[in-house]
This record gives sequence, C-alpha cells and structure tokens, in this order.
Amino acid sequence: MSDSTLSPAEARPVYAVESLVIDLYTPTLSVRAVDGASFHVAPGETLAVVGESGSGKTVMTLGPLGLLPEGVAVDLRGAARADGRDLLTMSAKDLSALRGGYFGVIFQDPISALNPMLKIGPQLARQAELYQGLSPEAARKEAVSLLARSGIPDPEDRFNRYPHELSGGMLQRAMIALALAARPRVLIADEPTTALDATVQAQILSLIRQIQKEDGIAVILITHDIGAVSVLADRVMVLYAGQVAEEGVAVDVLTDPIHPYTRGLLASVPDFRSETAVGTREIPGLPPNQASLEAGCRFVDRCERARPGCRTRRPELTAVRRGVAARRVACPVVLEEEGIAHG
Amino acid sequence: MQRMFLRRTGLALLLMIAASALTFVLITAAPGNVAALIAERSVGAGADGAMIRRIEEELGLNDPLPVRYLRWLGDAATGDFGVSLRSGKPMAEEFATRIPVTAMLLAGGGVLALVLSLAFGIAGAVSNGGVLDRLLHGLALLGASTPNFFVAALLVIAFSVGLGWLPSFGVSGISSWLMPWMTIALFPGSVLARVVRVNLQEAMSRPFATTGFAKGLTRRAVLVREALPNILIPFMTTFGAQFTLMMIGAIVVERVFGLNGIGAFFIEAIRFRDFIGMQAVLLLFVVFFVTVNLIVDIAAMLADPRLRRPKRA
Amino acid sequence: MNIRSWPWAVLTPAVAFVLVGLFAPLLMTQDPAAQDYGAILQGPSATHFLGTDYLGRDIFSRIIGGARTSLTAMTVVLAAALAIGVVIGSFAGYVGGRTELVLISLIDIALALPSLIIALALIGVFSGEAWTWLSDFWKMVIALTLAWWANYARMSRAVVVAELQQPYIEAARVMGASHLWIFVRHILPHVLGLVVVYASADAGALVLAIATLSFLGLGVAPPTPEWGQILVDGMSYIEEYPSLVIIPGVALTAVVVSFNLLGEAFALQKVPRAVRGGLLRRKRAARAAEEAARGAAEAAEVRA
Repeated sequence: MSDSTLSPAEARPVYAVESLVIDLYTPTLSVRAVDGASFHVAPGETLAVVGESGSGKTVMTLGPLGLLPEGVAVDLRGAARADGRDLLTMSAKDLSALRGGYFGVIFQDPISALNPMLKIGPQLARQAELYQGLSPEAARKEAVSLLARSGIPDPEDRFNRYPHELSGGMLQRAMIALALAARPRVLIADEPTTALDATVQAQILSLIRQIQKEDGIAVILITHDIGAVSVLADRVMVLYAGQVAEEGVAVDVLTDPIHPYTRGLLASVPDFRSETAVGTREIPGLPPNQASLEAGCRFVDRCERARPGCRTRRPELTAVRRGVAARRVACPVVLEEEGIAHG
Repeated sequence: MQRMFLRRTGLALLLMIAASALTFVLITAAPGNVAALIAERSVGAGADGAMIRRIEEELGLNDPLPVRYLRWLGDAATGDFGVSLRSGKPMAEEFATRIPVTAMLLAGGGVLALVLSLAFGIAGAVSNGGVLDRLLHGLALLGASTPNFFVAALLVIAFSVGLGWLPSFGVSGISSWLMPWMTIALFPGSVLARVVRVNLQEAMSRPFATTGFAKGLTRRAVLVREALPNILIPFMTTFGAQFTLMMIGAIVVERVFGLNGIGAFFIEAIRFRDFIGMQAVLLLFVVFFVTVNLIVDIAAMLADPRLRRPKRA
Repeated sequence: MNIRSWPWAVLTPAVAFVLVGLFAPLLMTQDPAAQDYGAILQGPSATHFLGTDYLGRDIFSRIIGGARTSLTAMTVVLAAALAIGVVIGSFAGYVGGRTELVLISLIDIALALPSLIIALALIGVFSGEAWTWLSDFWKMVIALTLAWWANYARMSRAVVVAELQQPYIEAARVMGASHLWIFVRHILPHVLGLVVVYASADAGALVLAIATLSFLGLGVAPPTPEWGQILVDGMSYIEEYPSLVIIPGVALTAVVVSFNLLGEAFALQKVPRAVRGGLLRRKRAARAAEEAARGAAEAAEVRA
C-alpha cells in the first residue's frame, strides 16, 4: 500500500482481497458479480460492506472462501489472501479447513441456516473439538460456555435443543456461538439482523460488538442497514453493481459522503443525518442488469451528476484527501466539480 | 404426539376393516361361486342343484352378507381362514409354510434395495453431474422401467444358463435366493436411488448446506452429515411405498423361480377359482400393506424432530 | 439440461409403439396366431424375420400384434380410468360434505393396495361363473380400469378444492353462473390439465401392468399375441433359445423406458414450446393441488 495515511491496523490484514473479479455462470446467464474490488480487514477492526441487494457484497466476501450456492459455476480472478496463504490457488481440502477454523460466518436467516435435523450444541462442540483441539468433554463445556456467552439463557438445556425449539433471536445467538466455536480470526456477518425483529436486531449487533472487543477479531459486516454500520463499523466500503464506489473510515463516509451513490444511499435512510434536512429520498431507477454491462460507470443511469463521459470512461478508485483518514472514491466528476483534493 | 399415534392407528384399523369388507363383498357377491365349486370339486361335473343348496346351507352361504362377513372375520381372527379349494388344505396351514418364503424374499429384497439405493444415490450426489452421476441416472431409469419378469429371465440367462453359477429353480441354500432378491430389489432400488439423489441435491441448495461448508466441512462431509439427515423422511416414506409394491415383484419372482410363497399361491388361487384362498390371501395383503404404511408413518414422525418434539406453545 | 438439449430420440420407442400398434395389420407379414409345426423354433429367415416360437408362429408378427394388443388395452384403460377418476374426484371436491367423505374413503381404500394387486383380485372375481360372457381381454381391461382410477380421482379432487377457493369462482357465482357452467368453464380445464399430464407419465406403468398380467397367465388369453405372454412362452426354451425371451423383453423395456422418460420430462418441464403454454397452467394447477392437500391436512390436524 502506498498510502501513507493508512492506519497501523491495515498494515497487517488477516483477510485481504486484491482486484477481485468474480463471474457467475448459470445455465441461462452469466453475470460479473464482482468487478475489480479490493478490501482488507485487520484484527480488532470492523469493515462494513454496504450496498443494495445484488450489489455483490456477499459474493465478494464469501466467494473467495468457496461459499457460494451450488449449481452456480464460479470464475474467480485476482488475489485473496488469509493466514498468509492464497485462497484462490489452495486445494479444496485446505480451503475447507480454513473456512472451519480461520473464518466464522453468521448468515442472514438463522432459521434456514441451521440444520433442522441437528441439535445445536453438538455442532458447536464438534467445531471446538476439531479446531481448538479440545477433548470431547472440554469441547462440550466450551460449547455450553459459548452459548452462555452469546446471551442464551439456560445453555445446558439449549445444548440439546433442535433449531425449531428456539426463537429467531435465540437462533441467531446460537449461530453466532457456532461461528465462534472454532475461535476464528475473521468473523463474517452476512446481514445478521435482516431476518430478525427490530428489538432483537439491536441486541444482536451489540453482541457482535462485545465479542469483537473481547476477542479482538476482525469483523466483516455485510449489510444494507446504515444504522448497523454506524453502530459497528470502523471502515465502510460502498459497493455498487460489483464495483467499489467509495471506501473510507466510517465516520467520514457516513457524515460526509462523496460518491453520488453513497450520498443517495444515505439520503434514502430516514432520520439518519437529520442535520442535512434533505429528508428521505429514493435513488431513482433500478440497479443495472449485471448481465449486460458496458464499459463506463455502472451508476450512470441513476446518477444526478452524470455527464456524457461517464458512459464510456470507467471511474477509477482515487485516494481523496478529506476527513480524518484515508478515503477512496470512484467518481472523477464529483472530485473535479467540487474541487476535492485527490491523487 | 401420542394422540397422533392413536389417530393413525385407529385410521389404519378402519382402513383394514373397510378394505377387507370390500374384498369380501366383491369376491363372495358373485352368486353360487363357492358352493358350486365345492360341489364340482367333490363329485365332478355331476353336481346337481340340490347338492349345491345343501353345501350353501352347511356353510351358511344364505345368511345376509354382513353376518357372513363378521363370521368370516371372526374365524380369521382365531386363525381359521377356511380350507383352500385348490389344495384342500386349511389356509392356516398354507400360510404357515408359505409366509416364511415370501417374508424371506421381501426382507432380502428390501435390505438390498435399501443399501443399493443409498449407496448409488449418495455416489451420484458426490459425483454431482459427473460421468458416474449420469451413468447412475441412466441405470436407475432402466431399472425402474424393466419388467421384473424380464430381469429374472436375463439373470437366469446370465447366471444359470451362461455361467452356471446359480440355480434357476426352487430353494437350495442361500445361492437360490440371490437372483430372486436381485430381481425384486431392482425396481424399488432404482426409484429410491433417484429419490436419494434428487432430495440430496435439493438439500445441498438449502442455506444450512452453506452453513455446513462454513463450518469447514468438505462437500462430501456436507452431503453425509448435513444433507443426508434431511432426506431421511422422504426416503422413509418412499421406502414404505416401494416395500409394499415389492409384493408384486414377489408374485412374479415366486412364479419364475418356483418358490412356494404367498404370491405363487395367490396366482394359483385366481387361476383355479379358489375363492376361499383368494379371500384369505387378500386379507393378509390388506393387513400387510396397511401395517407397513402405519409403521412407516410413525417412524417418519419419530425421525423428524419437529414432529417428535413440537415447540412448546 | 434444457428443452433444446433434451434427447428427443429416446421417445422413438414410444412413438414406434403407437405407430406399430395403429398400423399392425399392415405390418404383420403373417397371421400371428397361425401355427406351423413344420417350422418350430426356427432362427431368423426371409419368411420369419425374427424366427418362430414353439408352435411355429412368426415372432415378428406376434411382436407387432402384441404392440397392438398393448396399445389398445392401454388406451382404453387410461381413458376410462381418467374419466371415472375425474368424474368421481371432481364430484367429491365440488359437492363436499358427507358425500365427499364417503368418496374420499372409497379412494383411500382403493389406494391402500397396490393397483396391480387390486387388478389381480378383480380378475379373480371375474373368473367366477357369473362373468363367463366377458372375454379375457375385457376382464383385464375392466380390472385394470377399476384398479387405476383412484389416483386420478384423488388428484382431481385436490385441484377442484383448490380452484373453488379462488376468488373468481365466487365472482362467477355472484354473477349467477350455474354449477355446471362454473365447473365446465372454470374448473374442469385445470383438472384435465394436471390429470392428462399425469396419465401420459402413467402410460409406461400401464404397459408394464398389462404385460405382467399376461406373463402371470391372467391377462390376454393365448391366441391373441401379447408381449408378456410371448415372453412367458419363451421361458420354457430359455436355455436353447434365449432370443425368445430377449426379443419381447427388449421391446417391452424400450417402450416403458421411453414413456417413463416422457413422464420425467413432464415432471421437469422439459417439454416442447408448443405445449408449454398449456403446461404453465398445469404447473399452477399442480401447485394449487399441493397447497390444497396441505391445507386439508392442516385443517384435519386442527380438528383432531
């Protein structure tokens, strides 16, 4: 990294992706889901990946781990490193082991993400046994304490429960406990609160924050919930149609968005920045069909600032000198028109 | 849960009674059937009307149908299924010698179908669109389409006529069971292999499979540890249905390989208009089919934690 | 696999079966029942393309005649079972109440035993003296029909129940449409859509059942050629002349595989574009039927 303003944490990322391109093929269509994205996350840091559904957030984060649905052919290019190793060239078996021990994943809907035929506790114990090297008895104890730590009351009883016997909020806590059972270095939370009741959402977010403080692990939060970002994130990355639109420290991006898409996204959140007094606004139009993309900026059809050149010129992610820390924005138009120092 | 068991069992009993009553009515409703046959069998073609009427009187064939049905059912409950018109032996005796043969046939065929279908279904899912998967798909289709009597004939041509390894007729040790088992296991095994394969594929596309990968399992481990438990219930219900259908295979196989089981007797009874024998065998069939379905239903309920341990309200 | 890559060639045996069955009299080179003791168990020749059997009958002509027998029986049974099933099932679903309960019980009893066992039992019934006026062929056809209708009835009922809950039915009723009009105009197309697809997939099973009955000696009587019967005749000569068994067996298997593939294609919606419009409707009907069944089951649980 040439940027001198990088925080010290960024110097030793535990999961880093460089110029990642992911093409997805189904029998009927092919999609460039991720188009030249880069990100990295360091211990103790939370990176929020923000964007509309279909923007490639999940594919970008979980794709290099091989966690994409079956039946879709995937073509990954670029570089992805974790634990000092290259994820894209390692064997399927090594990648499996890395997924189990080094990464922990929390999925959106715990009711469908937890196997209805398997008891909760034994799954946790198995992870602890395999990846922490514990004895079966110690692993069982660890599983119970993980459940307790995740805020599940009466963990001894819950250990032998099936998913259908717990509420959605409790299940997501169990899912978090499962993700942590191998003592991972990176926790990826893929829309962890979307499927939950509003009251439970806040509890789950604070649980994730608490765990991160205690364990000092890296967290990647995939979300379209700006509220969750403001609560948890150190850094934010805004993704639009598979490309990074803007990236920087959370406070900067949330209070002073530069990219037109980020601005639109934040303006569409009710009561988020009441001081701007713009009120709630929808970004007009729909995200582009990623199956039929052209060379230029992908946001062009929905952008208020669009100029003829945007259609043909691909916007490069450019370092911007504004705010408390390093920031990068992929919109030369705004940078030029508003005279924002960059380069 | 317990109430559900009781309800299912009660329904099964009702079904048995209704089905047996229906077969009883159908078979005995044809006027003069049994008495005329008994007369004919005892004195040859010269049986006259008086004799037939006397036999009818003796057997109570002139009583109202419900009375006759209840009497027949009561006799059957005490182990008296009447005397076969074909063999002249009590049906209870026929059952005692023939049920073990058919039971052996069904048990072996059932186990073979179970093992093969799981092995091939899982192998296909592991191969996932590969050469093996497509080959197994083709074989399953062929296995589910080949008439079992043709399968039996091909096995005889290959193993008895060609190689001379296995006997093509009668019972002489375990080797004489191999071809009958293979024959009746082929159809249910093929259908079940497809059920395993298709349901595994469906399970692999569910979110919990992705969680399985995230737990660090290899694809094979996700298939076996996460997806397989989830196909248990459709597998069990299909197995139950296929197991009862295997009775048809048993009927064919017993005739081809000269096994003296219930199926062979049933066909003989039909051909020789042994209405008492048919009646008894059909009662046995009804009890067998309804019981198997009941067991499968209850087993499937017990296998599903969502039914076994319903969430407390 | 999509529609374009689906191997249409596998339907050749089914198509050939239908065509050969239809035009059998033109294709048979000999009388399939004619015995010739001078030419017993011969190999293939210019006069007997596939050789002769133990009575000197021409196997080629018998196979062709067998196709006609099977096709006739299959068509009659399918049409009759479908008609009975649709009428009883629709009536049960439309009328509801006690009548429906009785009819459902009847359907459940009929489905408690495998169809072929029921057919065998009925053939047994028909062996009684009261039924001697029926030929063996028609005994078999009637027995199979009575064994086959229940599935169609259950399906039809489910579709009718599902469709009756649609708002447009209520609308039609408010507008003063008669029951018959509502049924024929709005409900019957959905029922037929589903049931006909199911029947086409069922053809293979039926061909198999017909051959099995004849193989057991309880189907078509000897002079009439039938594949299962040709095969069982050959069984006695399997050691010296395995072709007597293999020829009818392969013909039968090829036709059944072909029909079953057609059924699988329907199940997976791999169907030609020409019928796809109709099939979408059928798919919807199938889903509605499924939902109706689930709804009924839940309702039953609640009541219990």
